[in-house]
Amino acid sequence: MMSATRIAVLAVAAAGAFAGLAGGAVVYFGWYDVSATSPHTMVVHHLMDTAMARSVKARAADVQAPDLNGEARIRNGARLYRTHCVQCHGAPGVAPQPYALGLNPAPAALVATARTRPAAEIFWITQQGIKMTGMPAWQYRLTDDQIWDVVAFLRVLPLLSPADYRDRDDGLPPAEPTPVAPGSLRTGDAAAGKKALQQYLCVTCHAIPGVTGAWNHVGPSLAGMADRPYIAGVMVNTPENLQRWLREPGAVKAGTAMPDVGVSEQDARDIAQFLNTLSDDHR
Amino acid sequence: MTGACGESRPPLSPPALAAGKGLDADPARGRRLIAERGCVACHTVTGVRGPASNVGPPLHELWRQAYLAGVLPNTSDDLVRWLLDPPAINPRTAMPATGLQKADAEDIAAFLLSPDGARGRAP
Repeated sequence: MMSATRIAVLAVAAAGAFAGLAGGAVVYFGWYDVSATSPHTMVVHHLMDTAMARSVKARAADVQAPDLNGEARIRNGARLYRTHCVQCHGAPGVAPQPYALGLNPAPAALVATARTRPAAEIFWITQQGIKMTGMPAWQYRLTDDQIWDVVAFLRVLPLLSPADYRDRDDGLPPAEPTPVAPGSLRTGDAAAGKKALQQYLCVTCHAIPGVTGAWNHVGPSLAGMADRPYIAGVMVNTPENLQRWLREPGAVKAGTAMPDVGVSEQDARDIAQFLNTLSDDHR
Repeated sequence: MTGACGESRPPLSPPALAAGKGLDADPARGRRLIAERGCVACHTVTGVRGPASNVGPPLHELWRQAYLAGVLPNTSDDLVRWLLDPPAINPRTAMPATGLQKADAEDIAAFLLSPDGARGRAP
C-alpha cells in the first residue's frame, strides 16, 4: 500500500502537470483573446492591477519627493503635461486623442491618480513606465527635475476646473532642461548601454546577440560589431565615430533609413561601449 | 492605495486637501439639514433616510468624486458655492437654488465631504 506522503506527492505532481498542460493549451490554441476590444475578465484585471500597485509601491519606497510648491515648477509641469501627457491622459474638459481611446488598459485620468497615489509613486511610474500598458518610461526623455515638475502640476490638477485648465495654457513650450556639463559625463558603461538601447528602440530593427527582443532584421545584425572595420559602411569604427553615428546618423550618411532617435551623449557613450563587447570571438 | 505593510504615504493631491480644509462647520447639523431642506426629494444620500429618489445623482461618497456637477473641482469652497446657487454655476442645471444660508451650505458640505458621513455614521 502506498504511504499517505507518496499519494500526496503524486497528487500534487499530477495537478501541476495538468495545470501546465492546460496553460500550454491556452497558449498553443490561442484561446486567450489578446485584442484590445475585449476587456480582461474581472479576476484577471484585478489580479494584474494589484500586482502593478504592489510592484510600484515596493519600488518607489525609497523615492523622496522634493518641494513641489514652487509656481515655476508647476507652470513648467503644465507645459510638459501639454506636450507629452494630455494626448493619452486627457485633462479637465479635454479628451484624449483617438489612438488613446483605443488603449487597453485605458490610460488613467490623472486627476484620479493624483487623488489616490503618493507623489513618489507617480514619479516612479512616469520615470520607469509600466510594461504592457502603453505607459512609456520617460527616464531617457526627461530629467528627474522635469518629471518632478510634472508631478507638481498633477498635484494641483484636481483643483482645476475645465476653464482653469484652459486659462493656464500660456502657449509656451516647456523650458529646456539644464544641459549636462561635459565634465560630468561618465565613461561608457556597457551594462547601462544594454539597458538604454531598449529605450531607443534599437531592438525593433537590429538583431543584437544577448538582448531580449532584438531578433529583427530591418537593419543589419549587430553581432560582431566590435570586430567590424566600418560603421554603416562609411566610417572607420572607433568609439567616437560610433557615438556620432548613434546620435546623428543622417549627418554621417545622407539618405540613411536609420533615424535620429535623440540619443543623449551619455547614452551614446554607454551604447557604444556595449556594442564594443559584441565580438565574434566570444560567440 | 494603502498597503498591508510598510508606512503608507499620503496621495499626491488627497481628497482631504480639497475637502473640509478651512471649513469651520458642523457636519451633524449638515446631515439634519439635508433631511429638513428637502435634498432627499431628488438625491439619495448615504446616512440620511428618505425616498429612493434618482432625480439627481446619488450623493454616496461625494468626497471621492473629482468634480462637482461635472464642472467644478471638488473642493469644499466650490461645493458651498454650488449649494448656494447652482444656476449661477450652470445656467442649464435642473437643480434649483433652495435659499440656503452660507452657514447651512457649509455644514451640508462638511457632511457630504466627510468620509465618515458617507459611510452612514454620524460624524
